Amino acid sequence: MSAIIEVQDLSRSLPGTPPVTLVSDVSLSIQPATFVAIVGPSGCGKSSLLYLLGLLDRPTSGQVLFNGQDMNPLRGDARAGIRLASFGFVFQFHFLLPEFTALENVMLPMRRLGKLSLTEIQAKAQALLEGMGLGEKSTKTPDRLSGGERQRVAIARAIANDPALVLGDEPTGNLDSQNSARVVEMFRNLAHDQGRAVVCVTHDPDVAAAADVQISMLDGRIKETSVRPR
Amino acid sequence: MTGQLRLLASVAARHLVGRRRQTIVAVSGVAVGVGFFLAVSAMMIGSQNDFIKTLIDAAPHIIISDELRSPPAQPGVSLYKGAAINLRHYKVRNEVRGLKGWPEILRTVNALPGAIGSPSLSGAITLRSGGREEALTIVGVDPAIEEKVSTIQDQLRIGRLRDLESTQGGIIIGEEMARRLGLGVGDVVGATSASGKSRSLRIVGLFKRGQTQISSGLGYVLLREAQSLLGRPFIINRIGVRLADPYEAEPISRRLEARYAYKAESWQERSADFLSLLVTRNVIMYSVVSAILLVASFGIYTVVSNSVSDKRRDIAIMRSMGFSERDLQLIFVFEGLALALIGIVAGWLLGYGLMAILGSLKFPIAGEDQHLPLDRTARQYAIAAAASLLSGVIAAWLPARKAARVDPVDILRGAV
Repeated sequence: MSAIIEVQDLSRSLPGTPPVTLVSDVSLSIQPATFVAIVGPSGCGKSSLLYLLGLLDRPTSGQVLFNGQDMNPLRGDARAGIRLASFGFVFQFHFLLPEFTALENVMLPMRRLGKLSLTEIQAKAQALLEGMGLGEKSTKTPDRLSGGERQRVAIARAIANDPALVLGDEPTGNLDSQNSARVVEMFRNLAHDQGRAVVCVTHDPDVAAAADVQISMLDGRIKETSVRPR
Repeated sequence: MTGQLRLLASVAARHLVGRRRQTIVAVSGVAVGVGFFLAVSAMMIGSQNDFIKTLIDAAPHIIISDELRSPPAQPGVSLYKGAAINLRHYKVRNEVRGLKGWPEILRTVNALPGAIGSPSLSGAITLRSGGREEALTIVGVDPAIEEKVSTIQDQLRIGRLRDLESTQGGIIIGEEMARRLGLGVGDVVGATSASGKSRSLRIVGLFKRGQTQISSGLGYVLLREAQSLLGRPFIINRIGVRLADPYEAEPISRRLEARYAYKAESWQERSADFLSLLVTRNVIMYSVVSAILLVASFGIYTVVSNSVSDKRRDIAIMRSMGFSERDLQLIFVFEGLALALIGIVAGWLLGYGLMAILGSLKFPIAGEDQHLPLDRTARQYAIAAAASLLSGVIAAWLPARKAARVDPVDILRGAV
């Protein structure tokens, strides 16, 4: 199986004297239908690695290959286009747009992509929310939803454009154990049932335990990679 | 593409609705700017148009007189061009007695589409009544033509210009002059010209007071009466021309002067000092009202700038979702655009209302109720809209660049 995303000798440091190294010499490849968890102590560079994988940040050196294509030469617009069509992000603080209803939040990436008609987009967004058990909450604005509900809306929004890669940055960090378990289950389904690659940065041992691949990081480097047989 | 622009516009609209109070303040700023721009410029341009109309109507559009603007060159100078000739103390001949070949000039003028030329002869006489003497310039005209060329008819308090035709030896003088001589309409006055001819004239009309120059120093008689009194039969020394389009006066006067050499003065030339004053007035007006519009755009800048600062998290999440830098910049430019557009429409209504109020005001001047002259043409609405739109977009574009430069990683890292 060919990797969706692959990084080679990836390093990222912030300028300064001395420069602060966030990620150094990381190489890894991520396969479809795989749930990968990146774990490690705070400040080990796991979020920085996620932003590099998600094309939100540019490496100081090394390469990010998406479907075998080098992403470094691409301009901001092209990288935004890839994020739009192929990546989905879920963050710790759900980050829904407060002025829009749950349904409208899920519709946003699809409307920006512009491949479907507005009615199709609306129907798909409603179906996604129903899949998250939020069918009757679709007209509520984020301030009317609980933390767990908001995170599920954020997941629905992340997968609205059927991304090949879903990136989670501490997606359960702000949730109680019941909601956490639910999100973990969803992430597993995204990988195993829908064939997406899921990469999750987490502190949560339960999330890490549920993953197919566990990558431990320390001081910007990969310390250990363990694969759990399915 | 249009669907995506609509998406960006809808995000902008949600942002504005979310900060309603600031939005209302910014929109009011633009509205007040546009409204007062309209009111002030309507008054300024209205009064200017009124003033120019008065200037145009006060006298014929072009006056051809029996003067030469520059004396003809001395024969010696014109014969030896470029030679070292220096003549001094010669008799300058720049005054001629009457327009030579005036029927020909008159025919040329009347041949212009919509133009009428009125020949007249003026000269100095002395009026004598009961031992009092007053100097007077008489103008001999053909009343039927003159009343088409000038507004002299409107300046009469008593009588009509045509009355000159029906009364033998009729004269129209100013109220002021009549009062000084102690005369009224129907009275007879003795007139003596410089050439010594004397005649009795009967007053058939009076000019209104207030037009000082006309009222005290001018008298109108029939053209042939003036010619005979001044001893200059068949001679005229002035042709007043009225044109269909007064703004053609300048080129036509130049052509006439080039052709006949006599001085042909357009109304613009006569009122050059007034017209340059109007230019200064317009510069002042436009700089003041532009300042109002500019200040209004500061409100837009503030709203958009605050919006960008408040929405940094949203900007980051939209960037991660796949919105480009340009998308984000457009969202905030749209916010400014929307504020400007709503403000412009509100300002139009405000301006319309202000003009309605100003237009209904009455000012009693010289015993007559007068309204403010207002210019209510669409042009002013368009200028106000274009200027606010431009300043609004610039005011929004400056902070919108900040939105495009927000680094999502900084925000996400800070929040996590």
